[in-house]
Amino acid sequence: MSEALAFLVLPALACTALVGIHAYFGLHVLKRNVIFVDLALAQVAALGATAAFLLGHSPQGPAAHAYALAFTLAAAALLASSRSWSARVPQEAQIGVIYVVAAAAALLLVDRAPQGAEHIRQILTGNILTVGWDELAWAIPLYAVVGFTYPLMARRFTPGSWLAEFAFYAAFGIVVTSSVALAGVLLVFAFLIIPAAIGLLHAARFPTQLAIAWIAGTATAVVGLALSYAGDFSTGATLVCTYGVALAIAGVAHGLRLPQARGAKLDVAFRFARWMVAALLAASGIWIAIAPQADQPVLDALERAFPAIRAAYMDDKSRAIRADADAHAERYRDDALKLRAMESSRRWQGEPLDEAEVRRIASFQKSYNEMIRGEEFVMAEVRKRAREAKRWWIGAAFLAFAFSVVVSLPRRSRTTPAGSPRPGGMAPPADGDPRARR
Amino acid sequence: MSHLVPAGQDGENFQPHPQDLARLREARAVLRVGVDYDLWLDRLLRQSGNAAIQRGAPGYIDASADVALLDVRAGGIGPDDGHAHGRGNPHYWLDPANAGMITATLLEALARLDPANAGRYEANRLAFLARLDAKMREWTQALRHVPPLIAYHDTWPYFARRFRLRFVGVIETRPGVAPSPAHLASLVRLAAAERVGVIVREPHEPKRDADFLAKRIGARIVLLASGVGAVPQARDYISLIEYNVRALK
Repeated sequence: MSEALAFLVLPALACTALVGIHAYFGLHVLKRNVIFVDLALAQVAALGATAAFLLGHSPQGPAAHAYALAFTLAAAALLASSRSWSARVPQEAQIGVIYVVAAAAALLLVDRAPQGAEHIRQILTGNILTVGWDELAWAIPLYAVVGFTYPLMARRFTPGSWLAEFAFYAAFGIVVTSSVALAGVLLVFAFLIIPAAIGLLHAARFPTQLAIAWIAGTATAVVGLALSYAGDFSTGATLVCTYGVALAIAGVAHGLRLPQARGAKLDVAFRFARWMVAALLAASGIWIAIAPQADQPVLDALERAFPAIRAAYMDDKSRAIRADADAHAERYRDDALKLRAMESSRRWQGEPLDEAEVRRIASFQKSYNEMIRGEEFVMAEVRKRAREAKRWWIGAAFLAFAFSVVVSLPRRSRTTPAGSPRPGGMAPPADGDPRARR
Repeated sequence: MSHLVPAGQDGENFQPHPQDLARLREARAVLRVGVDYDLWLDRLLRQSGNAAIQRGAPGYIDASADVALLDVRAGGIGPDDGHAHGRGNPHYWLDPANAGMITATLLEALARLDPANAGRYEANRLAFLARLDAKMREWTQALRHVPPLIAYHDTWPYFARRFRLRFVGVIETRPGVAPSPAHLASLVRLAAAERVGVIVREPHEPKRDADFLAKRIGARIVLLASGVGAVPQARDYISLIEYNVRALK
C-alpha cells in the first residue's frame, strides 16, 4: 500500500492540477464547440519546438520553449481571426486543418534532423506516472496564473471580439502546450472534455458545472490511478478509459434525474438490460447452430468463467484429449521458459554458452513454440468438433436460457409512481437540469 | 551505396520516401537487418518491381542469415517480458563477434554479384575483422566491472552476452506502451535487491521515464547508441561499439 502511495501521490497531484485548469477551459471549449482545439495547439507547439531544434537550439532549452510559445500564439491569432468564417466553414474544420498541417510540417522538419522525431514525441507523449516535482513546480503556478488572469482579462473584452477570442486561444494554448508534455495528448483531451461534459450534464450554472467537473474529474483520476496500479495497466490509457466509464455513469445518472419518476426510469433501464441479455443469448444460440466451427464469443466467455460448462457438451474421450493437450502445452511452455532463463543467466554468470549452444537453444525454443501451437490446435479442434456434434442442444440451451430471462421479467406496473408527471401534465423542473430551466 | 534509413533514425519505425523506391528500382543488391526489424522493406521491395533484389534473388541479402539468435519466443511465450519480435531479438549486430557471420553473408553475396572483385572484398573483410578482434580484447577488459543494469528497451541482449553484462530488467516491456506503476514498482524493488547502478536508454527513447527510475534508485543514466549515427561519436561500426563501451566504463 505504501509502495503504491509512493508511486501515485505525485501523479494524483498532477491530475488534480490538470483537472483544475482543464475542466475550466473544457467548459469554454464545449460551449464554443471547438472540441479538438487542444490537439491542434499542442501540435503547433511541437512544430515550433522542432523548428527551434533544427535551428540549433537545445530541445529542452528556453529558445525551444520560446519558439513553441510563439508558434502557439500565432495559431491562437489565426483561430481568433478565422472565427468570422465559421458561418461558412465550421471552426472544427479549421482546427482540423491546423492540426494536420502542423503535424505534416513537423514530419517534414524531422526528416532534416536525426533525433527530431524523438523531440516531437517528448512534447506530445508525456507520462503522468513519471511526472516529477520539478515539472509540477512550474506547471501548477503557471496554471494558477492563467486560471486567475484569464477570467479577469476576458471580462474586459467585448464577447466575440478578436481580442476576446485571441485571449482565450492564447491562454488555452499556453496551458495545453505544458500539460501535453506532462500527461500526453490522449489524457489531456480526457481531462479537458470529460469532467466538463459531466458538469454540463448535471448543472445549468457555470460555477456549479465547474464544481461538479472538478469533483468528478479528481475522483475519477484517483480511481483510475488505483486501477492502473492494481491491474498493472499503463497509467495514461487506464485513466482515459476510466474517464470514459465515468462519463457513461454520469450519462445514466443524468437519465435517472430527468423529470420522470425515478422508479419508472430504473424499471425501464432494468427491462432494457434484460432484453439485451436475452437477445445476446438467443443470437449466440442461433449462431452456434448455424456455424459451430466459427468463433463463439459468448460461449467462450462462459467457459472461461465456468470451465465445468465443457462437461455439458464434451464426452469423456474429448475431455481427456483436451486435458492431455493442455498439460503438454503447459509443460512445453515451462520447459521453454526454463531454457530461456538458463540462457539469460549464462550471459553474465558461469561458463558462457558458445554459438552452437545458442543455436541449439534457439532451435529448441522454435520447436517448443511449434509444439505449443500444435497442442493449442488440438484443443481448439476437439472443442470445435464437440460443439459441432452438440450444436442443436447447445443452441436450444441458449434459446431456453434467453426465454427464461424474458419470462422472468416482472409485469410492467400500471400504477403511477409518486412524483411522476400525470399524462399531459408538466413535471416540476429538476434542479440543475438545463432543459428544465429554458 | 546508399542508405534507405538515414543515420540515427529508428530503423524499426522508418517511413520510406518516394526517392527510396527509385533507389530500389536501380539497385543491384539490397541489404537488410531481417528478423522482423525492417518489415516495411518487404512492401517497398514488391513495389519496386526490381526482380534482382526480391527475396531469393542474388541481390537480396539478409544480414541475419546464419546468426545465432537470442530470445526466440514466437507463439506467445513470455508475453509479459518480451520484445515485439517473435522470431528473435533483432539487435544482433551489437555483438561484435556476430560481425564475422554478417560480413561472411555480405561477402558471399558480393562475390556472387561481382566475382571480379571478390578477392578485394575478402581482403577488406579480413582487415576489418582483424581491427575488430584487436578492439575486442580492449573492450572486454574495459567492461569487466560494470554494475547490474536496467534498459529502457530490450535492445541489448547480444551486447550483454558478449561483454558479460547483467541486465536485470527493461522499463518498456511492450514497445510503444508506457510502463505501468506496478511494473515500475517491481523494477525499483529489483534494482534495490540487485544493486543496479546504471539505466541505459537510447537517444530516441523517452528521457523522462528513465530519469524517473534513476532518481528513485540512485542510478546513473547512460545514453547508448544501437546504430551508426545515433550519436555523433558513432561514425562507423567500430566507433559505435567503442562509444558504447566508453559510456558504460
